[in-house]
Amino acid sequence: MYGRVFGVSVVGVRGHLVVVEAHIGRGLPSLTLTGLPGAPVQDARDRVRPAVESAGLEWPLRRVVVNLSPANLRKEGPGMDLPVAMGVLAASTQVPGAHLARYAFAGELSLRGTLVATPGILSVAMAASRAGLEGVVVPAANAPEAGLVDGIRVVGAPSLAEAVGFFRGSWRPPVPEAAPGVGNGRGHSVDFAEVRGQAQARRALEVAAAGGHNVLLVGPPGAGKTMLARRLATILPALSREEALEVTQLHSVAGLLGNGALLMERPFRSPHHSVSLPALLGGGSAYLRPGEVSLAHHGILFLDELMEFRRDAIEGLRQPLEDGRVVVSRMAGSAEFPARFTLVAAANPCPCGYSGDPGRRCDCLEHRVQAYRQKLSGPLLDRIDLQLVVPRLSKAELLGERPGEPSARMRERVEAARDRQRHRYAGTGYPCNAQLPGPLARREAQMTSRARDLLAQAVDRLGLTGRGFDRALKVARTVADLGGSDAVDADHVAEALSYRMNVTQGSLPRAG
Amino acid sequence: MRGERVGGPWPTWPPGFTLAEADRSAALVLSALSGLTPRRLLAYASQGRSASACLELVRRGELGSSRDRRFAKELGGVEIATRLDRCGARTVVWDDAAYPTQLRTIHDPPFVLYVRGGPLPGAERAVAIVGSRRCTALGRELAQAIGYGLASVGVTVVSGAAVGIDSASHEGALEVGGPTVAVLGGGVDAAGTGSRRSLIERIVDHGAVVSEYPPGVPPVAFRFPARNRIVAGLCRATVVVEGAQGSGSLITGSHALEFGRDVYAVPGAPTNPLSHVPLQLIREGATMIRGAEDLLEDLGVDRAPGGEALDLTLAEAAALRSLVGPTLPERVARELRVGLADALTLLVRLEMRGLVRSVGGRFEATLAATARTG
Repeated sequence: MYGRVFGVSVVGVRGHLVVVEAHIGRGLPSLTLTGLPGAPVQDARDRVRPAVESAGLEWPLRRVVVNLSPANLRKEGPGMDLPVAMGVLAASTQVPGAHLARYAFAGELSLRGTLVATPGILSVAMAASRAGLEGVVVPAANAPEAGLVDGIRVVGAPSLAEAVGFFRGSWRPPVPEAAPGVGNGRGHSVDFAEVRGQAQARRALEVAAAGGHNVLLVGPPGAGKTMLARRLATILPALSREEALEVTQLHSVAGLLGNGALLMERPFRSPHHSVSLPALLGGGSAYLRPGEVSLAHHGILFLDELMEFRRDAIEGLRQPLEDGRVVVSRMAGSAEFPARFTLVAAANPCPCGYSGDPGRRCDCLEHRVQAYRQKLSGPLLDRIDLQLVVPRLSKAELLGERPGEPSARMRERVEAARDRQRHRYAGTGYPCNAQLPGPLARREAQMTSRARDLLAQAVDRLGLTGRGFDRALKVARTVADLGGSDAVDADHVAEALSYRMNVTQGSLPRAG
Repeated sequence: MRGERVGGPWPTWPPGFTLAEADRSAALVLSALSGLTPRRLLAYASQGRSASACLELVRRGELGSSRDRRFAKELGGVEIATRLDRCGARTVVWDDAAYPTQLRTIHDPPFVLYVRGGPLPGAERAVAIVGSRRCTALGRELAQAIGYGLASVGVTVVSGAAVGIDSASHEGALEVGGPTVAVLGGGVDAAGTGSRRSLIERIVDHGAVVSEYPPGVPPVAFRFPARNRIVAGLCRATVVVEGAQGSGSLITGSHALEFGRDVYAVPGAPTNPLSHVPLQLIREGATMIRGAEDLLEDLGVDRAPGGEALDLTLAEAAALRSLVGPTLPERVARELRVGLADALTLLVRLEMRGLVRSVGGRFEATLAATARTG
């Protein structure tokens, strides 16, 4: 007696179609799983039988072998319970096999036979759609999420009994209602209008949003670094549907999707500096989960107290910053997660935090400040185009400052600047200035001769390095885009040069 | 201000204390003893004993600690002399003609000086510049400019080679090739590492490095106040640039007053903790100076020709005028009635000409700008 159904194994964010074969033969009652099941899938062995019996169905009291194919793919995720159960039921002819092969099955079973919400169902539905199947059978709680995929029938079953009933023709699933999107891109809980003063930081963040640049905010405690970083998300252009699907998919795989609605708001992730490497970059021993860098995909990854993060965590950020993805390798196999985020890092200017603050004295020893700055100026800093000192404002400076411009108006300018970039870089595969590689950036910048002279002078006078040169160039390009200018002029370069940190204090030219 | 001599002439080393060759060698050993205070040694020396006689007392256990006794028995002047040769240092003792005259009149003068580099300056040609280790960028610029101004008219700049104001003063003097002298709180061979070592080597090449401790003595903070008396004692005047409460620069300034030397101080905002020592000294009668020009005028030496006039656009000049202390860029924009981006552009252009610097997210005029625009 033989049965065959489709399941989906989610590796990383991608679902892979798995053939689940069940054979019932002679021998002592037992269930054997073959075909490289991962640890959560092994668990299904003991879960499926009670679930089947609770659903009022019969478990064949013979030797049952379930094989998962292709055998070279490691089967991950708790969603394999339902296909294993359906395979056995098909083999024991308790489910008519006529339509079984047109559906993919995914979902975790409880011992009472109910289907519980399972992570990664959006990836399951996408895989089924890619494979050209007619529909998916998933837990009822995940039905809205699966419904985000167009052109596929979603059967949201509350329990195993209903899933079987659907194929017997005795139960009809309710028509899934389209879940409303979470956030429409305008419903942020914070707004730039609430920020008083900090004009340079506001302008710098507008430039960052317009060019997709990473930002470092350096300032004493209480300067408002976190407040500013949170509001960067509110001026980024709205997510496109594809982007929103990617974001939703990642949150689904991580099990963080509440009601299965499409996530339309750009994510803002702010891991604590004690975060472990797997939690930041993705991984985990039993089941590969996306890390904070991937949960921040298409959004903002905010690292407060950058200097407190472990060194290997900082080093680990280089790959995602470079490639927009992370590859997580474990003994269990490797998985790739998208991770294209805007990095916003915040740090104190010195160990005590008050260096350069006119209102408070810095208590750090000179060589410790030097060592701290040295640590700050590592390879990560080369990936951060905008480096900004955020001063702590005195009462006098705050008084008389009107509430700032609202986020919506800033976003209009950002979107216009992004349009210009999309237009210019059509066909290159790069969406914005920040992601342009150096040589291409130099070619595309269209600098006037005055701009070129000024940038060359900066190398001499401000000690600009080669990488610093490229960073200033890209930022100048964005400043020009915000100004609606085709060419990069000297003024654009000069403004770009104001968004860099003066790490080399004390090497000032002689006065006199 | 010329300080009043408080307490009159102090007991000093008797002539002939280090005259004989044996005394010279004994003086080196005595300078290495940590348990023997100069005051106690002086009490024995003023009874007419020579250095070798004092050393004999130490070896017999009648003077100094038991550790000194052990040490003095094992150590001969020869060992120290070998060490001196190795680091290229020489000694100047109390009875040498090369011993700086101005040092003879200070309280508790050293009976031996270890020197690397060139000759020590005469009193009329040396000025000390001292100040905080943790200083502001402006203070560093000031110290550097004063050091530069003094050295360019041939006045030796004396300081302690510490980080901050000290280093900036030496650097300023080194820009015109010295002369500059560093007085160290440890042996002249313990030159530290990295940038400090390179600074000391350059000072050796363009002046001298001096210490009262033999080579091998580590530079430890408790010796620095004692070092400061030599800094003040070597010079006709002492300039204090920045110093917080409890800073060593107050000690140096007080020493200078006590020795009857001139004291100058560069004032700062009363709210700035680093203004504490300069303002305190000014209240006590030190002469206030605004920079190198004031100092050179008071010292009666000719100033090198001043900087050329600045070629500024109207907007740049207005931006420079709008900087009153550290100023936020939006203030500048408001004052000039331009957008923030334009204000930033102006400020960066000024920064590239060395007229403006950014400090903690605010902008301030550099010394170069204030000196030339008045």
